[in-house]
Amino acid sequence: MSKEARPSWDSPMQFVLACVSYAVGLGNVWRFPYLCQMHGGGGFLIPYLLMLVLEGIPLFCMELAIGQRMRLGSIGAWTAISPYLGGLGIASVVTSVYLCLYYNIINAWSFWYLFHSFQPVLPWSECPVNSNRSGYVQECEVASPTQYFFYRETLNVSSSIDENGGVHMGLALCLLLAWVIVFLFIVRGVKSTGMVVYFTATFPYLVLIIYLIRGFTLHGAWNGVKYMFTPKLEQLANPQTWINAATQIFFSLGLGFGSLIAFASYNHQNNDFEKQAVAVSLINSSTSVFACMVTFAIYGFKATLNYESCLERMRVLLLNTFGLSESDVSIDNVTVWISHLNHTNPEMFATIASKIEVCSLEAELDTAVEGTGLAFIVYSEAIKNMPVSQLWSVLYFIMLLLLGMGSMLGNITAIITPLGDLKILSRTFSNETLNGLVCLVCLLLGLGFTTRSGSYWFTMFNDYGATLSLLFIVLFEVVSVCYIYGLKR
Amino acid sequence: MKMITRILLLIFLPSVIARDLCKDGKDGYKVRLSIKTALGDEAYEWNESEMFLFRSSLAFAMRKYTQRETFDISNILVCNETKRVSFVFVVTSPNDSTKLIPKDHVASAVRQHKHRINSAFLLSDGTLEFVGIPPTLAAPITYSTQPWLIVFGVVIGAVAVGIVSLLMSTMTRRRRAADKGVDSGQEEEQMEGIVKGNGTSLTRLESKDGVYNQAFSNDERFTKL
Repeated sequence: MSKEARPSWDSPMQFVLACVSYAVGLGNVWRFPYLCQMHGGGGFLIPYLLMLVLEGIPLFCMELAIGQRMRLGSIGAWTAISPYLGGLGIASVVTSVYLCLYYNIINAWSFWYLFHSFQPVLPWSECPVNSNRSGYVQECEVASPTQYFFYRETLNVSSSIDENGGVHMGLALCLLLAWVIVFLFIVRGVKSTGMVVYFTATFPYLVLIIYLIRGFTLHGAWNGVKYMFTPKLEQLANPQTWINAATQIFFSLGLGFGSLIAFASYNHQNNDFEKQAVAVSLINSSTSVFACMVTFAIYGFKATLNYESCLERMRVLLLNTFGLSESDVSIDNVTVWISHLNHTNPEMFATIASKIEVCSLEAELDTAVEGTGLAFIVYSEAIKNMPVSQLWSVLYFIMLLLLGMGSMLGNITAIITPLGDLKILSRTFSNETLNGLVCLVCLLLGLGFTTRSGSYWFTMFNDYGATLSLLFIVLFEVVSVCYIYGLKR
Repeated sequence: MKMITRILLLIFLPSVIARDLCKDGKDGYKVRLSIKTALGDEAYEWNESEMFLFRSSLAFAMRKYTQRETFDISNILVCNETKRVSFVFVVTSPNDSTKLIPKDHVASAVRQHKHRINSAFLLSDGTLEFVGIPPTLAAPITYSTQPWLIVFGVVIGAVAVGIVSLLMSTMTRRRRAADKGVDSGQEEEQMEGIVKGNGTSLTRLESKDGVYNQAFSNDERFTKL
């Protein structure tokens, strides 16, 4: 590696698309809509955009600048500024290793769902039948078919983190496939990555547009979108809103992992990265808002569906208990009938009083879900109710896969670029062997997440693995660039 | 006058007894139909003819279940009809019209032929309920090979082919470059995507020993934006 000049992107467009593909990840789809809902709908955009300008774009610019100037991965780049700062680069690499270990499990789950969509009846649309065919499996009766499919058939989750069941073979196969695909994308380094990002950066937008159109034409979607756009401005007074906006910008842009440094290190020296940094940050944020609209359309559809089935259940309960004719009680006048029957027939009403539920559309819309729950349970529940659900399911999980793979590319590049820059390793191993070894090690360690207690480990890694250390890393980065390297240079 | 009352009594006695048998209700099942929910605009009215159809389909089910006893429509007694369209029925034995068929026999007969009864009324398990007789759910579809494994096999095969071909092309390119390097010993090895240096001070610098700190270089060669 020391004798050859550094490989580089075929065109600046590839670099921009690689950054977009890395920054636009699953967090845009499953964290931002949750935050939007928690902090007052449309009003959340104000702190979000403010933080983008104050925090996101400058830090993004800084990381790109370092990578492009030093033309080395994170360890080399920081060591070049000052040998004592090498630890900063190592910290970035270690954080990226943590992320690579657990992030690909999400891709494995997406593969699992994707492959299971090729069936005449989606497996998460119905509960499986119990052994004597008299009813559904008990666990599934208590929960819903989508939850049963995720927790029992996909994860086969054990009751606590201590109980380590065996490895789920199907998930292990999907994880293997995920790592093999990552290897395929990075095997030739930047050359192969550059080809791939054309697809991984653009196709998710196509799917999002299709889903936007489909989502807005669903029954009841408008309730969700209206709910999102009515801003609750009193949430702006809550400091938690601003903190969440800051952290969301921070993690959404993927700062501190060293991936941006690695990507930028393959740039030509005169590349105009400032304009590109602004462009990528704006694209990332607008994708978040776009995905938010789609998600809220889906929320609205699901909430309306639940609300109407609640009313239907009440209607059937009234019909069965009081022997009324079907044409008397319709979905619209269920509540009227409930109060009427309560007055006229109180004793009989008392017998079913425990089963009466209050159906409220607002309550359904208020249930906010984030993370894997949103992506794999809420969305798949909405999809199973759409016509031609297999097509929508395939499209959706391919989109999730592309978003996840795009982010994985950035993270794995953050590891192999510094490793490839280390003279010791690049002399003994060729580029491809090194990449293969990294993928293999991550695969073997990642198998731990496919065990029955794997999802608990996943949650721990996701919530605590990188969050605090990243803040420190970026803080040190800013300090070192401003004071040690000098702002003027 | 006495003749007439006696005749009248004889005529109405069976139906009185029948209603008593039905109203006792220990061996009877409640049935609920939700015609409007199932059929919407194409719902039919529930009337005497539909009730006749129900009684005959139940007699049919009992016949097929016992396979020897000839149940008739008079053996199916119905009472407690409501506007919901729900009622209670009991089944009497064909040999003795005062004896009722026990509940579990009726239940088994209904379970075995629920599908036929549903089809007679264009309803389904959810809309034609026998309270106390759970429906037999459809058996799950079993595949010889899981469909997801097939798709998985296709995808991982394609990816493996891709990797192998990429690695092969890299190796052949390396071998070709190595051969070229042996022929012309002074030239650098060519890797893809590199603008060949034209012998500036930079290339000579790279062949020297020492750590080359690119932070302080002046890469004017690459002017592409």
